[in-house]
Formats: sequence, structure tokens, C-alpha cells
Amino acid sequence: MNNMHSVDPAWAWQPFEPTADQPWDRSTVAHLYRRSGFGMDLIRIDETVNRTPADVVKELVAGNRESTDFRSTADALAEATLAGGDAKKLSAAWVYRLLYTPNQLLEKTTLLWHGHFATGAEKVKDARMMWNQNQLLRDHALGDFGDLVHKISQDSAMLVYLDSVVNRKAHPNENFARELMELFCLGEGSYTEMDVLELARCFTGWEIKNKKFRKNRYQHDTETKTVLGQSGNFDGEDGVRIVLEQPAAPLFVARKLYRFFVSDEPNPTDAMLQPLADAFRESDLQVAPVVQRILGSNLFYSSISIGRKIKSPVELVLGMLRSLKATTNTQLVAKGLLNIGQGLFYPPNVKGWDGGRAWVNSSTLLGRANLVADILENEATRFDGKSLAEYLRDQGVRTTEQAIEHFEHCLLAVRLDEPTKTQIRQTVTSGSGDEERRMRSLLHAMTSLPICQLA
Amino acid sequence: MYISTNQSRRKFLRTTVGSAAAIGVGAALPKCFAEAASGRSNTTERILVVVQMSGGNDGLNTIVPYADDDYRSARPKLAIPTSDVMKCDDDNGFHPSMTGMHELLQDGKFAAVRNVGYEKPNRSHFESMDIWHTCRRKDEPRPDGWLGRFLDQQPLAAGGDVPALHLGREQQPAAIASTSIRVPTVNELAEFQLRGNDKQSLRKLLQNRQPTHSASENELLSFLQSSTTSAIAASQRVTEAASSYQSDVKYPQTELGNKLRVVAQLIDSGMNTRIYYVQHDGFDTHAQQDQTHTILLRQWSDAVSALVRDLEGHDHGKRVCVMTFSEFGRRVSENASEGTDHGAAGPMFLCGGGVKAGIVGKRPNLTDLQDGDLKHEYDFRQVYASVLKDWLGTDPSPVLGKEYASLPLFA
Repeated sequence: MNNMHSVDPAWAWQPFEPTADQPWDRSTVAHLYRRSGFGMDLIRIDETVNRTPADVVKELVAGNRESTDFRSTADALAEATLAGGDAKKLSAAWVYRLLYTPNQLLEKTTLLWHGHFATGAEKVKDARMMWNQNQLLRDHALGDFGDLVHKISQDSAMLVYLDSVVNRKAHPNENFARELMELFCLGEGSYTEMDVLELARCFTGWEIKNKKFRKNRYQHDTETKTVLGQSGNFDGEDGVRIVLEQPAAPLFVARKLYRFFVSDEPNPTDAMLQPLADAFRESDLQVAPVVQRILGSNLFYSSISIGRKIKSPVELVLGMLRSLKATTNTQLVAKGLLNIGQGLFYPPNVKGWDGGRAWVNSSTLLGRANLVADILENEATRFDGKSLAEYLRDQGVRTTEQAIEHFEHCLLAVRLDEPTKTQIRQTVTSGSGDEERRMRSLLHAMTSLPICQLA
Repeated sequence: MYISTNQSRRKFLRTTVGSAAAIGVGAALPKCFAEAASGRSNTTERILVVVQMSGGNDGLNTIVPYADDDYRSARPKLAIPTSDVMKCDDDNGFHPSMTGMHELLQDGKFAAVRNVGYEKPNRSHFESMDIWHTCRRKDEPRPDGWLGRFLDQQPLAAGGDVPALHLGREQQPAAIASTSIRVPTVNELAEFQLRGNDKQSLRKLLQNRQPTHSASENELLSFLQSSTTSAIAASQRVTEAASSYQSDVKYPQTELGNKLRVVAQLIDSGMNTRIYYVQHDGFDTHAQQDQTHTILLRQWSDAVSALVRDLEGHDHGKRVCVMTFSEFGRRVSENASEGTDHGAAGPMFLCGGGVKAGIVGKRPNLTDLQDGDLKHEYDFRQVYASVLKDWLGTDPSPVLGKEYASLPLFA
């Protein structure tokens, strides 16, 4: 089953049928919560085992809007940050959402689009613009992809980031036109250099004035353009529409969704993606049905998916916190994420985060362990309002053995083997200190293990 | 500077499993023991420092063809005024911010190769960078980079040192990806150590990890396990190596300056690492290029020249070469936003006591263009071939996949 070529694409995307080999149990439920969000506590995981996979996935996808209550609280917090104008602090406002949102899939998908339509605050420098873009991504995260692309093409932060603040007909700026095709919709190789030049002409006259999008008709090139085989006096909206009409578009986005939700490697074949791409096109590029299909599929609960992703920094840290109902200092988390390679609002470049093996190197591995240490030592860190030892006691955890098992169920995609468990026991028992100290030490050790970096 | 074999071996024996073996992956282990037994040390061997200008450097405004009228007419706003150019000869001069490089040239420690590119240039940052890193096109498999393939061929360094090191916050470049060796990334030295109350026991838990049974089925897990042991080992060795360094050379207080200072520290400490890789980002100057480019070139010129001076002062001047490249040059004509769009051929630079100083290559032909971009005169693999053969002393063709005529770049 590890060989993707032996998998039938039709079987792959059919609704998940639990089997003796792959039952619907703690492990598969935890997998669903880890991938569709950041993680869930063990009590909730156990409750979910008693429901059907299809119902659970349906409910997750249906949560495609924030509740008004949560939104007003989270927005108020962000507004307070925006008053200071510092984009660096915005990251913490997003961490708040990641930590408390009742709609984890929505937030996870917002993060996906942030990496897809990557825009960096380092260059944009305007916290308000960055935040507006973030809300745009959230509003469309599980909605209409075409609509999202149209709005992104007129988004101030994006256009500042890609140097398209002023686009004059005498010398059209190629940057946005190129990335629209290469990175946002089609992929390199699905267009020519001539298409870049011609598409750039469609966007002439588009500007950002006073932080707002507007069209300057005096700067728009009204001559005929030929983009991807179509000719006409196109403007920017036509350009985006033509790009979205390309057959390469649904396949390109399906590949992105696959990598994000299913596995880092190997790269899926076109044949494997085609059913998803077809469904995406048939639903007029609606994201939610495709995501629902993926999360409810046979493939998603197979060994091709489980344990076949490397946790992003957000997944590692928020996963640990949410799986143990923990809260902490959001600034500390935001800064820490930047240090280990996933600064929110600070993607490395317009291609976003490559993910997979690229999350990991010597520096980020040590950094991951260190960030968890910092969080565990921070006095703001509480577990359902309690100390870690108290929290675990309330869950019926009495011994080191039970604690190992508890963490294993909610944090690890792949079970520990006996030699590793023995080593962990030795690590914990060799340390001195009270119960709280020992439990934190155990949690730190387990989250630092290579196996815990797997999602 | 030479570390006695005995010392290297002692260090090796002390940290055998904890570091040396951990650097390699899987099958590299026995080879590593063999190296230790033969007792050879690489501390007198030559070192390559690679500086990557990310984003596409405007070569025409770096080495300026100031006497060319076509240059001025293509760039009414962005052309560097003749009076500002630091002239090298009757045709060419340096961007005014490159005083450090100008001094290196006068001292015989700077070389540039102009018009470097490749057939059918790709103007995507990412695709073009991949081509430079792997020497392969998109339709070919590319699991490793050119430096990674070089590393694969080298005997493992004695003393348990990492064969190559990437310094920086960015993602590791594909150029140093190897199928058998994990190259560590160091962000900041101070950060490159485990923290927390239980760091001793945690280090013990994470080092020497035997592959688990599930690792054999899951390649990602094997990758994570070898990366983790490598990280712990490299952290100990690098921290140890950098502790006693002193220098009179003032490095600029910039990210690149700080990274190159660490490179000097590690080289001087006697690490056997042969490849250091750093990135200098921000060259994607589509708008308001003038100011940004000036700052970027100054940062580069100041930092690299400080490194060359520093190494010279510590007697490593003749064994370290700094090579700078970018994924493409920029369009010959400026755009309406006072910037330049993605182009093709551009210059590469080599600095250090071993280079044959001067500018190689014709004056860029600004009238014979290909889609508005400079055509290339040299394939970038010719420069790599020269570096591999004449600097690192290895046969370039297995690394590059083909014979490439080398250039006279080293004295």
C-alpha cells in the first residue's frame, strides 16, 4: 500500500470504509483532527469514535464560517494590535485564533491559503493591509476559489508585495501576472513567456491609492491581447478568468490540497489527482466539497496518508497545546514560530513554505525542542486552567506509563516502539523533581522525538 | 593552520557515535570508521564559501558598462551616472557602493565572470534557482544538488565535522542536498544548542538513536531520525569550535556580515568543513530598484571583503574562495516602476587569495538580445567545473553530469 502506483484512484477517493486493518478508532480519529485542524484532547477523540466518519467530516466542513461571537472577540483583539501598527504583533493575534477557534478546519485552510497566496509583512510593512488580506483568506477559505483569486488580484497587500502598486501601460509590471500563473493557479510550464507579457498588459491601470485598489483608465492598455490562446481587449478581470478556465487550474489546486491534507511525498500522479480535479471543476471551483471528499476518503485513512507528513511548526506547537487543552503566551508562540521557520505573516517568499522535509534542518529541529521548552517553562502556560500534572490527574493519568500513553494517543501519528519507550522512561526517572517537573520533562522529551515531528 | 592528526583522532574517538557517525546516513557509517582509522585530516584543504544573491541580481548595474550608450538609453532612470562609477577600465566599472570589492580587485583577490547563464533561460525565480542548484531541468529527476553530489564523493572529514554547513534562517538550498549526507543549518550560534532544565537527558535521548522498526517503512521518519542525530552532533561540535575566536576585522552589522563572521570563526577553529553556504536575499527589484540595490550591493561587498581580509589575517587567505551567484540577471530595459523585471544572463563573482583577478567575458552586448534579455556567453556549469577542478580538486564531470570547458579563474 506504500506504493501509490498500486492504488486505484477510484477506490482512493471513495468514502472511507473502516476495516479490521484500518478501524475507526482513537488513532484514525486523532489523525483526522490533526490534519483537518491542529489537534484534539483525548476525551473528545473518544467521543468521536462513537460517531461515523462521514458525519464528523461533514460537520467539520460545515463550520466554514466563524461564529459571530468568536469573531468579534478575535477581531477586537486584532484591532487592539492594529492600533499599534506593528505587523510583528499581528502574528500573535492570529495565534490567538489558532489556539481558541472552534472552527479548526477553517483556520487550517486559511493557513493553507496564506502559504499559497504568500504575502510577507516584511515588505508590505502595513499591518492593516496584512490583516485585511488575512480576513479575505478566512472568508473564502472553504468557499469559491475563483472568487478568492479575483479578490486577491485586487488585494492591496498582495499588490504591494508584488510591486504592482502602479501598473502603467507603457511598461506593464510582469511580477503579478507571472505569479498568478506560476504559483497561484497553473504551475510552471503551463504558460509561455509571451503569456506573461500579454497577461501583464491586462492588468495595466491597476493601482493601489491610499491603501485601496482602483483602476486608472488612462493607464490601461486597450489594445488586443492574446493570453493563453484567447484574444481580445481584455482587462485584469478577463485575465484572471482566462487563467482560471485553463484545464491545468483544477489539477494544480488539487495537488496543493493533496500535499496539504494527505501526504508530503511521494508526489501524487495526475491519475490519482484527476478525480479530485474533476470534482473541483464540476463544483465551479468550490473548495469545501473537495476538502470534504479528501478528509472522508479511503486514501486519507490509509498508510499512504497516516504519518506521511512532517508537522509544520504551527502543527507541532498548536497541536501540542490544543491536544492538551493548553493556553499560553501568544506572543511567545508567534515569535517562536518565526524562529523555527513559520512566522505567520512572514512567509519566506512568494512561493510560501515548501513544507515537507524543508521544515526540518539542524537549526529548526533544535529550535522546535527549545520552543517547547520555553512554552513549558512559561508561567502563562496552563492545561485546561491547571498545571500539567493536575490536568493529567483529572484525565485519570496516575503513572508515567499512563502519561506516555496519553501523549502518544493525542500527539503521535505513529506508535512508539518498546526500546524508545524504555529510553523515555529512563530519561524521566533519571531526572529529579516533583510530579509536575517530571510530567513536563516527559512531554518535552516526547515532543522532541523525531517520531513526534510526523503528522 | 593545521590541527594535528592526533588531536583530530582524539576528538573523533571521544565523540565517535555521538557525532561522526551521526552525520552520515545509513551506509556511510563503515566508511566513516575507515576514514578515522586512516587518520587523515583535511584541515589544510581548500574551502568554498557560496553566497547566493536571491531574487535575481541586476548584473548590468553591478559591473557597469558605463561607456555604452545603449546602456544609458535602456535605462534613463536607473543607469549609474558615469561620474559615480568606480572605473576598472575604459568600458567597465563597479557600482559605487562596492568599495570593498574594488579594493579586493586592486589587491588581486576579485574575479568576475560576465554573461553567465544557460540555454533556454527560465524566468521563474524558483525554477531557475533549481536549475542553478541541481544542474538539471524540470523534466529530469533531481534528488540532489551539485554541491551535494560533490560531498557524496568526498571521504568523510576526520574529527566528526560536518562536510558542509548552511548558515541562515532560510530553507536549506537544494545545491547542498545529498542522498547520503545531512548538511546542518545553523541559524545563530547562540540558538544552536538545546535549552531547558532537562537538556542533558534530552540530548542523551536524542543522540545515538537507533532507527526504529517503523522507520524502515517510513522514509520521512528515517529522515527525521538521521536529521535529529545530525543536529545534536553538529550543535556540540560547532559550539565547541567557535568558542575561542578573536578578530580585529570589523564586519558590517548586517545579517550577511554576521553570517560570514561565523564562517570565519568556524574555519579558524580548524573545522574540516569544506563548503559553507549563505544567502543574501532581496534582489527581486521590480520597483524603485536604485536604493534597494545600492544597499544590497554594499552589504554584500562589505561583508565579503571583510571575510576575505579576516581570513587573510588568520592565514587562511589562500585556501578559501567565496563564490557569488544569482538565479538570473534582470531585463536590460528598466520598467515603469523604476525597477527591472526578470532577465537571463548575469555575472558571477569569485573572491579570495587564490583567484586570478580580473573580469572574464566580453562586454555585454545590449543590442543582440533574446526577448529583451542578455544572451549568455558562458554556461554556469563552466564556472562550477572550474571551481570543482581547479579549486576543490575533483573531477567535475560526475558532479555536473557532463564535460564542461573550465575557465582560467584560479591563479
